[in-house]
Amino acid sequence: MRILLIMALSLLGCSGAIDEPVSYFNVETPRPFGYVNGDEIPQRIIIETRSGITLQTGSLPAKGQINRWLNLNQVTVKQTGQRYQIDLLYQVFYAPLEVKALTLPGFTVQLSQGEKSIGQNVPAWTFTLSSLRELIARQTEQGEYMRPDSPPPLLTDTHALYGLVASLSVAVLIAAYLAYLYGCYPNMLRRTVFKRALRKLAGLSKADMEQALTVVHQALNSLNGQPLFFNRLSDFYRRNPQYLQINAQLLWFFTYSNRYFFSDGMIVVAQDLQQLKDLCEQCRKIERGSR
Amino acid sequence: MIRTIRHITLWAGLAAGLAAFVYCAGALYGIHRDNDLIRQLISGKDVAVNKVIGGKPELRLARAFYFKRKHRYDEALSTLSLIMDKGDRNFQAKVRYNLGNLYLEQAVQQALAMNTNEAMPLAGLAKQAYRQSLALNSRDWDAKYNLEVAMRLLPEMDRVDMPDDEPTKQKSQLWTTVPGFPRGLP
Repeated sequence: MRILLIMALSLLGCSGAIDEPVSYFNVETPRPFGYVNGDEIPQRIIIETRSGITLQTGSLPAKGQINRWLNLNQVTVKQTGQRYQIDLLYQVFYAPLEVKALTLPGFTVQLSQGEKSIGQNVPAWTFTLSSLRELIARQTEQGEYMRPDSPPPLLTDTHALYGLVASLSVAVLIAAYLAYLYGCYPNMLRRTVFKRALRKLAGLSKADMEQALTVVHQALNSLNGQPLFFNRLSDFYRRNPQYLQINAQLLWFFTYSNRYFFSDGMIVVAQDLQQLKDLCEQCRKIERGSR
Repeated sequence: MIRTIRHITLWAGLAAGLAAFVYCAGALYGIHRDNDLIRQLISGKDVAVNKVIGGKPELRLARAFYFKRKHRYDEALSTLSLIMDKGDRNFQAKVRYNLGNLYLEQAVQQALAMNTNEAMPLAGLAKQAYRQSLALNSRDWDAKYNLEVAMRLLPEMDRVDMPDDEPTKQKSQLWTTVPGFPRGLP
């Protein structure tokens, strides 16, 4: 963005007169030199008025061709309270043979108060325009030198690529989750048997001892691949020798389970449930490989 | 019940994901195929017209680029006219710039052949196309340069006089409307 130089033209205001209709007026334009054919020149007009005075936007120059060499491409008016910011964007089409001074024409902005109308003059602004070509332009085999055609751009594949990656990621994630639900990862499931069992035990109390025992039985069964009974522990240890280190606790578990399910008058204490959880913790450590 | 709904939702999501993947893969393949065609046209090899019809505007611009290079101006003009309002501002500016070049090249050729009546309207059309291009993208230096070429070829009628300019002693019209470039210093 071109650096805007401020060309202050304080025509009215700042003098302290309370009844003046325009309290502040300023025209801001960029540098007045160094332009070439086809350049855009922004012009900002700031008007602050007394309350009750409104800007007549119809008095601003109309968008379009101003004269043969000057176009007005954009007219924007922003109002903040009694402050009007008018942005004009001119475009110059002139091919001088040497550096030439040109003038953006001035105009009068109309302000109205009731039925009264006040004119605020925006002065003309002079700038210089330079040539892009030398006077005796170079020649080519085809004649006059001119810039070549703009090569056609290649199509961008960024959006399609992002879409491809995103859709593939979503499909793979869903497929993986479905595979998990359908039990396609037996090894992974076997490594989380006691993790899931511990999670279930966490929510149980000693009143749910039957459920707690069932959870541990199910965990051991799924680890063993078949129902595990007390008299088949030796086979279990042969297949899973790392569990031999908690043999005493496993023996307690099976003995306790037998007594609970097949003896009458069994009284459950909180210590039993805690012991069951400890057993499950030990099993979890073994399956995780940390013991 | 919840399990059933979850499974149905997951399967539907998987199907949608796969469908989107197939669609994007097809789009990507189409883009790469079109880019190959554009490269082929830029390198000066023609492509079958049925591959361009219904294709992206960039492909048509490439075909116009090819026609212009082969001096097939009418075909280039008809191809460009189909994509004048397609694409974003930059693309439209590019189309208008190439259109200006198309007119200007013919205008220069006609001017060199001293066919003034043919050169004048072509230079006027070139200027109009460059102006439109610069209105869309004022930072295109090539368009600025070529507009100046066109303006020198066909100078404007009225001269802008500033008060501090040297007063001209020449009573007759200084600027000529006959297309041609200045061939020497005074």
